[in-house]
Amino acid sequence: MSILQHNGAAIICMAGKNCVAIAADTRFGLQQQTVACDFEKVFKMSDRMFVGLAGLATDVQTLRNTLKFKLALYELREERVMKPEAFSALLSHMLYEKRFGPYFVEPVVCGLKDDGSPFLCGMDLIGAPVYTDDYVVSGTCTPNLNGMCESMWRPDMAPDELFETISQCLLASVDRDALSGWGAVVHVITPQGITSKSLKGRMD
Amino acid sequence: MECTLALVGDGYTLVAADRNAARSIICFKKDEDKVTVLDSHKIMGSSGAQADTVCFTEYVQKNMALYEISNGLKLSTPAAASFVRNELAVALRKGPYQTNLLLGGYDEEHGATLYYLDYLASSNKVNYGCHGYVSSFVLSIFDREWTPGMTEAQGLELLKKCIDEIQVRFLVHMPEFTVKIVDKDGVRVLPQPK
Amino acid sequence: MAALAIDRMLDAGARPKEDDATNAKDILGLNVQRFALAPTPDPAQFSKDNFGVGYGTDNHQKVQFAKGTTTLAFKFDGGVIISVDSRSTMGPYIASQTVKKVIEINPFLLGTMAGGAADCAFWERNLGTQCRMFELRNKRRVSVAAASKMLANTMYQYRGRGLSMGTMVCGWDESGPQLYYVDDDGTRLKGDAFCVGSGSTYAYGVIDSHLRADLTVEEAIDLGRRAIAGAAHRDAYSGGWNNLYHMKETGWEFIGAVDTNDLYYEHVHPSHIPAPPPKPTPSNVPR
Repeated sequence: MSILQHNGAAIICMAGKNCVAIAADTRFGLQQQTVACDFEKVFKMSDRMFVGLAGLATDVQTLRNTLKFKLALYELREERVMKPEAFSALLSHMLYEKRFGPYFVEPVVCGLKDDGSPFLCGMDLIGAPVYTDDYVVSGTCTPNLNGMCESMWRPDMAPDELFETISQCLLASVDRDALSGWGAVVHVITPQGITSKSLKGRMD
Repeated sequence: MECTLALVGDGYTLVAADRNAARSIICFKKDEDKVTVLDSHKIMGSSGAQADTVCFTEYVQKNMALYEISNGLKLSTPAAASFVRNELAVALRKGPYQTNLLLGGYDEEHGATLYYLDYLASSNKVNYGCHGYVSSFVLSIFDREWTPGMTEAQGLELLKKCIDEIQVRFLVHMPEFTVKIVDKDGVRVLPQPK
Repeated sequence: MAALAIDRMLDAGARPKEDDATNAKDILGLNVQRFALAPTPDPAQFSKDNFGVGYGTDNHQKVQFAKGTTTLAFKFDGGVIISVDSRSTMGPYIASQTVKKVIEINPFLLGTMAGGAADCAFWERNLGTQCRMFELRNKRRVSVAAASKMLANTMYQYRGRGLSMGTMVCGWDESGPQLYYVDDDGTRLKGDAFCVGSGSTYAYGVIDSHLRADLTVEEAIDLGRRAIAGAAHRDAYSGGWNNLYHMKETGWEFIGAVDTNDLYYEHVHPSHIPAPPPKPTPSNVPR
């Protein structure tokens, strides 16, 4: 089994009309053994940006710490908030820095750009970015997630509709994956603010 | 083939570990203490390669003592967990410490807490946890029997159930267990519940 | 001839000759002896290497078979409880949540399925045929000891070829409730409680601390359900529905299928409320 699948994860970022949402499962497992059902793998990076880290849990936590640190330093130095575009470039560089001993994490970034339009980005574990304008997925059940998003996503969804769509996409996908699930969290970012909800998922 | 288990109760954290020191097919001794007292209010159960385990726990223990002396401050349990995780994470990329940990502690701000850390340096705050092959027998017992706010007697009763199961089902004989408890008054060593 | 064959099979020391063991199948034109073998110097090793079933041991294979299970059965004063999950996985993908892992061999015999789904289904069906042939020839029901021995013998013949099967043969015969464990390397054990499959250890945890011979039927059913629920929660490769059977003097009875997720919320964490969303990491934006 790939080291990327050791702990299990499923993350989706999805764009709506002037809003984006990010959803992730909460399982922390050691291969087939489920150890915790409240593991965080999605992190708020600013009031308009989240990063989702799917992969080896230790690197999820290390990257979270490093990103938080770098972001804080940037904000102190520059006296402004980092834009999602810059953040993705930073993350991509951080990952490529470890080209020959990578962090085993496939991140997704979502946020709102200055004009309030959605920003979505996904990466492989050594930082090759893909920019999309509909949705991006990562984790141990990407075929499922892609299939669900492919059929459920529509352009210009309002925040409520986006929440419903992303939640159903995630829940349906993890129900067909042995390594992710056991509960989920969803964050919806709008120019007005962030709404966070946890979902009751199947516990098997 | 080792086992450490721990649970959080009402104002205390209980950490237990088997006392076997084994290698290959030999059991060298049956009175090894695998639950290290890190400071007055922190205990850490560890399993894995004995050399790594001892080396790492001593390193953590001494550095926390040093921090306390130089800053006049004691680390809270989450801070200690964060420190331990980071040390493991750094070590991971240069021949890791083969050591799995259960870090229990008590502090004013957070109360009794327990952290589950594996040798890959992922850290989770949990209510109960178990390392080793034994975890597959014991976790379902914890799932069924653990409730929030268990008294010390209830916690020990649950621990006894787990040890009983280990002794009935697990291939490796684990006759003796170290049991330590940490609460607002500090660390105590308890006899194995029988 | 057939009776003789069975007798010989019941002799623990004797290994059945191929034609004896497959007598029944010849009549049906179902000669399982004639499986095509790989044209390699060591066909057994070849099928073991390329068509094996196992967690973590089949990653190199180009083909991976459906597997994954928690099954359990235990005896108590009221008979035997047989309780299983219903998930089938191929790698991390959940191929099905509605697999029937209890095979109804006849009204007094049940077999459970763990390991390779195809191996279990085929060989237990095959066992059904053998048992029926025994009945027709001898005008009496086959004992569970004999039935389980027939299956164990079949497994022994195919040992080392990579079959994967962990099964419990449960029944009620002249000497009362019976429970046997039979697996792919020919092991056959008589016992009071067995759990088989990737989630078996979790099920043992629940069973061992609560099993008593004097459980009432309701308590026993509840224990069977809770054990599967516990395993389904912790083991990634178990889940779906819990199918539960009760073996009685009058034969087996299907008690029902319950969603293991409902069982989780009901039994494992009755007060489980989804945790509030984690506080978003405080951003360092100066406000």
